[in-house]
Amino acid sequence: MTETLTRRDLLERAALGGVALSLPGFLAACGGGGKSSSGGKKELADKLRFSNWQLYIDRDPKTKKIPSLEEFRQKTGVKVAYFEDITDNAILFGKIQRPLSQGEGVGRDIIVMTDNTRFPGLLISKGWVEKLDKDAIPNIKNLQPALAHPSFDPNREYSLPWQSYLTGIASNTQLTGGKPVTSVDVLLEDPKYKGKVTLLTEMADTISLVMQANGDDPTKVDDASFEKAIKRIQKAVDSGQIRGFTGNEYTAPLAKGDLACCFSWSGDVVQLVPSNKNLTWNLPDSGGDIATDNMLIPTGGDVFTVSTLMNFVYDPKIAAQISVGCSYISPVKGVKEEAAKIDPKSLENPLIFPDEETLSNVVIFDAEAARNQDYIGKWQALLGA
Amino acid sequence: MAFLHRHRWLTPYLLLAPGVAWLAVFFAVPMGFLAYQSLQAGTFEFGYSFSWAWINYWDAIDRYHEQLIRSFLYAGLATLIALVVSYPLVYWIASRGGRWKNLFLLAIIAPFFVTYLIRTLAWQTILADNGVVLDTMRTLGLVGDDFRFLATSTAVVAGITYNFFPFMALPLYVSLEQIDHRLIEAAQDLYASRLQAFLRVTLPLSLPGIFAGTLLTFIPAAGDFINAQLLGSPRQTMIGNVIQSKFLQLIDYPAAAALSFVLMGAILVAVGLYARALGTEKLTG
Amino acid sequence: MSVAVEGVRGSRPGALARAFRFAGHHVLTAYAALAFAYLLVPIAIVVLFSFNHPKGRFNYIWEGFTLDNWRHWNAYEELTSAMKISLEIGAISSVAATALGTLIALALVRYGFRGRGATNLFIFLPMSTPEIVLGASLLALFLNLRFATGFLTILIAHIMFNVSYVVVTVKARLVGFDRHLEEAAMDLGANEWTTFRKVTLPLIAPGILAAALLAFALSVDDFVITYFNSGSTTTFPLFVWGAAARGAPPQVNVMGTVIFVVALSLMAINILLQRRREGRAPP
Repeated sequence: MTETLTRRDLLERAALGGVALSLPGFLAACGGGGKSSSGGKKELADKLRFSNWQLYIDRDPKTKKIPSLEEFRQKTGVKVAYFEDITDNAILFGKIQRPLSQGEGVGRDIIVMTDNTRFPGLLISKGWVEKLDKDAIPNIKNLQPALAHPSFDPNREYSLPWQSYLTGIASNTQLTGGKPVTSVDVLLEDPKYKGKVTLLTEMADTISLVMQANGDDPTKVDDASFEKAIKRIQKAVDSGQIRGFTGNEYTAPLAKGDLACCFSWSGDVVQLVPSNKNLTWNLPDSGGDIATDNMLIPTGGDVFTVSTLMNFVYDPKIAAQISVGCSYISPVKGVKEEAAKIDPKSLENPLIFPDEETLSNVVIFDAEAARNQDYIGKWQALLGA
Repeated sequence: MAFLHRHRWLTPYLLLAPGVAWLAVFFAVPMGFLAYQSLQAGTFEFGYSFSWAWINYWDAIDRYHEQLIRSFLYAGLATLIALVVSYPLVYWIASRGGRWKNLFLLAIIAPFFVTYLIRTLAWQTILADNGVVLDTMRTLGLVGDDFRFLATSTAVVAGITYNFFPFMALPLYVSLEQIDHRLIEAAQDLYASRLQAFLRVTLPLSLPGIFAGTLLTFIPAAGDFINAQLLGSPRQTMIGNVIQSKFLQLIDYPAAAALSFVLMGAILVAVGLYARALGTEKLTG
Repeated sequence: MSVAVEGVRGSRPGALARAFRFAGHHVLTAYAALAFAYLLVPIAIVVLFSFNHPKGRFNYIWEGFTLDNWRHWNAYEELTSAMKISLEIGAISSVAATALGTLIALALVRYGFRGRGATNLFIFLPMSTPEIVLGASLLALFLNLRFATGFLTILIAHIMFNVSYVVVTVKARLVGFDRHLEEAAMDLGANEWTTFRKVTLPLIAPGILAAALLAFALSVDDFVITYFNSGSTTTFPLFVWGAAARGAPPQVNVMGTVIFVVALSLMAINILLQRRREGRAPP
């Protein structure tokens, strides 16, 4: 009997699921790890440097401007330099751990990392992120309760969710015979698509989908099921089926027609349609996964100004704007009502407001597995290193 | 100035000092650090410690010999193709270029002035699955419908060849240009045909150029990772990709450092064997 | 070999031989033309696509001609500032490397001294080390010294790898230098410094200039070594790398074209000037 999950349940599971992930984070939070630099500094900076994933904000496709950040500037005078330079959690971490380990800043005030990787917890436990200035974020009360106490940051001292996403399959229907590909088996093994398929570099997202196609449960990963998934992917790589592993970089080849189908994140394809009308996105028949990206302030970031921005984006009106603008799931309460005003059709969009059916078809990756050094090593070897 | 007059012997050393010091600090010392790192053990989470971990080297060869061999294969192929393609071209410039020789040379170096990455991306566009080239070839029936260039070894080798072409062409040109034409005339006076004159006079005399060009092309090509990343698939992973990933993403410094030295060692061996085979020890400079 | 193909000089070759020779003569030229095309087609694509008017985010398919990208060449702030940084680093590292390298070249060519051979080898080493190893080792240095990576470390790295190239370039020019001119100047009463300033330097100037240009080009173009040592600073190649994933704006092509045209022109000017100078010099 399949249980129907409510959105609440699902997000709660995400928060509670990672016990192993929690310990370092929890201890750090308890022991006051991480620097708090907001003491006394209550002045807004002129500029904020915000690093984020691509296609993750309400960018107007024609003017290329970002309305929400423009409004923020009009309201507070703070100019936000927005960089879409994050494509993969591990790559980002590799880039920033050097300066952070030496107590240096990374030239950014906000970075965004995914909770189904070990990195947010790692950053917090190493004390490489600043504490939020909660006094400047009264809107934090709008945070969905299910997301309020994640294991890596139980009291939300260092992070706040940005958006949640689903992982599924993107198809270029012109190349897939007019119908989208919805089966992981087809994607991995149908010779028709040899060399025109990519998977994601994110271990949690890719392994979740493959494990479910194998009939295994990604919420409880064990050596055997992990190994089975790895072997299957390796076979697909060796046969030439897989063209590569990507972060956000599947977007260009997908739009260009180099890819017939690929693992992808839910909101991306919607925003790619202007570049190629034949692109669609679907959850795999065997199931997809769900995860949440979190805003963090690396050492040296301007805590007060960032907190002010966080407060701004946690206003339901702005949150709705962003969420509808990029077609991802908002972590803010009350977004539904606001979204109805912006675009009533968005209420029926499962990518922004996932319904019961969608939610029952996604899982959250086993947080302890996300941290398992052995699995990580095997995954990296698969990627070719 | 009078001081220098009296101590003339000092002059070369003074001239050398700043540059050599810079290289010593920022080339030699870092190599030392790299060597030090290669003998460390540990993980990122818990820190590294020096422990004469020679096993890193063994691990490197054991786990990545496939990528090493592949890198040498690709680099070797690319070098060979560059040699074969550039030789006639350079020969033409040297013998028929006339007053415009230098400008023709410039045309060879010209691609060099477009950023390496942009050139490689241009090839991505040209060789795209639905690009002009492949479309034309499909229309002409030259290739099947599911043929593609990108994400294959062909694309990677082609990219490497293109990107390092000037490094082969220029030394070759220098050496060909210096050949005294009278030698060739003399050979022909002695009843050699054009072909024989080429094989027995020109080719051997251009050997230093071939040697230099081969080195300057092969060595950087062996460590390249950009062509593999932009034009290849995971099956074309070269040793450069592995080193890059270990340094910047996996943050496994000891393994990466060991791998770097394995690469350099392998290159040295290959170059040494090659020099032996060719019989010349003359390097550039 | 058949008699039809040219053999002994002095005898009149047959018609077939003449045909062969005609074809052979022009085959090489045809080949050269093809080879040049192969070299220059990608550049043509880059330039072409700088005039493209892409529909979506990606600049891969020709949609239509427009001058917008050129008019708004600085529409992307991140790109413009990355370009600026690349040019700055290029200029500074070029000057520094040329200075250091020219001195070394002078020492190596004109003086015999103990350790000359070893120094020669030492200078050659960075050029023969794979870039990835150079970049990684520098990173190892900066990590161990706990020195923050950024603009300064990129600069240091660029000067380092440029020195070798400068030395090789200037040496080539120095080796062909006629020292009799200097001797003549000194015979006429000039001291060493004046001789250097008024005779030597002007004559090796083209070589130094070429070396400086080469160093500048190498610096602006460098990706691998910079990738390892850049911290959070972005140079032009680093921007292109990052942007390639998300769709590089046509402005990237615009800037690439500009660099190309400027560098090419400078080199061409250098060559033409050289020819004029040689034309005027006494035989």
